[in-house]
Amino acid sequence: MPRREHLLKIGVSGIRGVVGEFLTPALACSFAQAFGTYVGGGRVVLGRDTRASGEMLTHAVACGLLAAGCEVVEVGILPTPTIQMYVASTRAQGGIAVTASHNPPEYNALKLFNAQGLFFNNYERAELIDLYHQSDFRQATNEEMRRVICDHDAAPKLHFEKVLAHVDAERIRRRKFRVALDAVNGAGAVTTPGFLRDVLGCELEAIAVDPTKPFPREAEPKPETLGEIAELVRRCHRDIGFAQDPDGDRLAVIDETGFVLDNDDVLALAVDVALRRLPGDVVVNLTTSAVIDDVAAVHGRRVYRTPVGEANVVETMQAVNAVIGGEGSNGGIIFPAVHLCRDSYTGMAFLLDRMAETGEKISALAARLPKYYRRYGKVAYQHGRLGPLMQSLEARFPAAEMDRSDGLKLLLPEGWIHVRASNTEPLLRVAAEAKSEPEVEKLYGEVLRLFGE
Amino acid sequence: MASTAAKSLRISQVGLRGVVGGGLTAAHVLDFASAFGTFLERGQGVVVGRDPRSSGVMIREGVVAALLACGRNVIDLGIAPTPVIQHTIRRLDAAGGISIGASHNAAEWNALKFFGRNAIYLSSAEANELLDIYHLKKFSFVEWDHLGKLRTEENSVDPYLDELAAVFDFEALKKFRVVVDCCSGTSSLILRRMNQRFGFSFILINEKMRGVAFAHEPATNKDMVALQLAPLMQPLGADAGFLFDADSDRVAFASEDGAPVSEEMVLPLLADFLLPRGEGKLVITNVSTTALVDEVVARHGGEVVRVAVGRQAAIDALSIYRPEQIALAGEGTGAIMMPQFRFVYDGIASMLALLSMMRERSLKLSEIVASYPKYSILKGQVPLVTHRIPALLASLREHYQDGRASVVDGLRVDWPGRWFHVRVSQTEPVVRIICEQRGNPPRELYDTLIELVRGFA
Repeated sequence: MPRREHLLKIGVSGIRGVVGEFLTPALACSFAQAFGTYVGGGRVVLGRDTRASGEMLTHAVACGLLAAGCEVVEVGILPTPTIQMYVASTRAQGGIAVTASHNPPEYNALKLFNAQGLFFNNYERAELIDLYHQSDFRQATNEEMRRVICDHDAAPKLHFEKVLAHVDAERIRRRKFRVALDAVNGAGAVTTPGFLRDVLGCELEAIAVDPTKPFPREAEPKPETLGEIAELVRRCHRDIGFAQDPDGDRLAVIDETGFVLDNDDVLALAVDVALRRLPGDVVVNLTTSAVIDDVAAVHGRRVYRTPVGEANVVETMQAVNAVIGGEGSNGGIIFPAVHLCRDSYTGMAFLLDRMAETGEKISALAARLPKYYRRYGKVAYQHGRLGPLMQSLEARFPAAEMDRSDGLKLLLPEGWIHVRASNTEPLLRVAAEAKSEPEVEKLYGEVLRLFGE
Repeated sequence: MASTAAKSLRISQVGLRGVVGGGLTAAHVLDFASAFGTFLERGQGVVVGRDPRSSGVMIREGVVAALLACGRNVIDLGIAPTPVIQHTIRRLDAAGGISIGASHNAAEWNALKFFGRNAIYLSSAEANELLDIYHLKKFSFVEWDHLGKLRTEENSVDPYLDELAAVFDFEALKKFRVVVDCCSGTSSLILRRMNQRFGFSFILINEKMRGVAFAHEPATNKDMVALQLAPLMQPLGADAGFLFDADSDRVAFASEDGAPVSEEMVLPLLADFLLPRGEGKLVITNVSTTALVDEVVARHGGEVVRVAVGRQAAIDALSIYRPEQIALAGEGTGAIMMPQFRFVYDGIASMLALLSMMRERSLKLSEIVASYPKYSILKGQVPLVTHRIPALLASLREHYQDGRASVVDGLRVDWPGRWFHVRVSQTEPVVRIICEQRGNPPRELYDTLIELVRGFA
């Protein structure tokens, strides 16, 4: 299997790859120059997470932006949502975050934002990639050349203020919650301790909060990688534990017993908090649990489903003017009243506020959610075999309601199955959910059997 | 305009140069700096500095990214004169360095100059290897966890001045009243510090560094001195006046009486001053430089080695001899290298050497200049038609058979007390014509030459 070809990806979602042989400074520079050309010059915000390659790529991106005649506002190491909000609050034409989010440390990528600090829509992204390939960039002359300005302090303050507007900070502070944090030595290492300790008055026990060190665990905050923080919660008798990904947009939550909550349940708790506060609907991706439908139903609200990917969820949220959205399994909470982006800080504040309001433990709040059972997995397939596999699945469940907007989702009386091809590898991602464990095992097993696993 | 800019790009042994935007782009910078990061031997890091051009920030970002990607640690001096960059390379025992700046060119230009270990300009063999790597575009990028680190060095000027202070008698020299035209370039960084730290009284004009519109073109020649500097000499009561290019490696001067002095005079004066002081007897210069050098050097029993025009030929000639054999090397453009400073073009050191000469001889600068025989030089240029160059040179040689001919670079023909040199420019599509005569200008020779050359245009 020629694995090599997957280590660099340039497409409508931007540029992403393994730094070294694949993601080179010249590629990053050209892509940034295409971006600078696309936004038509003006001010562009530039920040990054803590990856070892972040400094090198930041300089390459700054070079490309300046060459396109942009003024660069360098904000240093910050969480992606913080950068997005800063873009929206200043008179910038756009922003670039140098981060590969939850990908392993050898990867890096550019996340691109428009003047509102939002992802570009699908049409705009296609336009940008065409511009990149055409290489017809704006080339600033010496007279048109702008500067690099540094502003490392304003953005976190702005972000926290926006979050605080939607919770009762005073009642959170009064409780003096005992909180544990694992910031994976990522961008959160710079801002999260201050947020929890100084802004929300928590008594904090933190690990992996050194932005100069490598990631001590897998970058994606999944239950199987969060042993250390779970242990810390138990040992230090914490009320709750939080774990972030390297760019601080994703959040995992550990209850006071050291149990890592299911990400779909965390989203469900956040949806509940949001719908108590504001009227409107909910948007989640196709792989997100039905628990969201149950919570929305309690508030009499509708749930929209989109293809997987933050940009897709955000696009629909904008279209239907949703109050909250997210991607369950990815640990992403999007609350547009703060900003239309995945934001772990809103998630943390929402949960602490709900605990303060009800006086209940986080485990008790989670236990009150309807219980679903889920299985996730990956199945390798050969190119050319995808169509027949999908058709065999459709044939196996003729009575199911089908959604083909992103792979195939089968809605059945006992639950659902979602099968979609990975964007980056020749793999099928399989997800299944049901009301009981035997039922979900049966659904999941059925898919594996059909796919010859 | 766009097409002129596009044609400005020049990639050669001396580096990368062009008008930013149309000619010199970010992509060129990334690739060339990546080639340099690949080319350098392993070492303590790479020193980077720039002149004040606005485009220097963009180029710096690209250079830093490329070097870090090649696993090189980068020491950024910010805005710094080229001689200071070179001094820092030696002081830190760095693997090499890059000076971002287009020296004597107008503000819209920019360029990269490359230095190896000990701050030495690359030899032709090394420069060719660098070019091969650039053209192949196969760069040695390191793995993500072996990337270089960037640090900034705040004060690189003081250690540089320490070295100058060890060679020149600052106590004596600071008594001179000296006017300097900084041409909006980096020389002000050094001179202001000399005033502050050592009590010099340099009067600086066009001192503010500028990114876009320089006070005037930073060209170190007699015309620019006449226009900008010479008229100030008497009103300010100055003993001497100097004019530097943007990155401080070249110098031109005016004497106290307000007379602009030919840029050709810097080399003969310094040769006269330095030859008796050291054991080196060789003076390396190019075939376009004044014959006054030969006369001065002969007086000291020295020898002039004439090479093709351009820095590369001088560097290659330097490498043939042992350092102690050489008294100095330089061009008629006011770019001089001295062995005390390990053969780095340094306008500031050249200025200090001229001031030392004034002090040692207890003469006014105009008196020193007047003590040499008068030579008159005429310089001109004619647009070029590339394919007729060989025929032109053959025809000129035919026409002037009575002189002694040299074909080191184009054609130079010498008669006693008179010579001309016709060559193709390395930077513009023109043929350059230079004639010189001991005494009055060789007007007749010059006019004939121009006419002959035009016949092939």
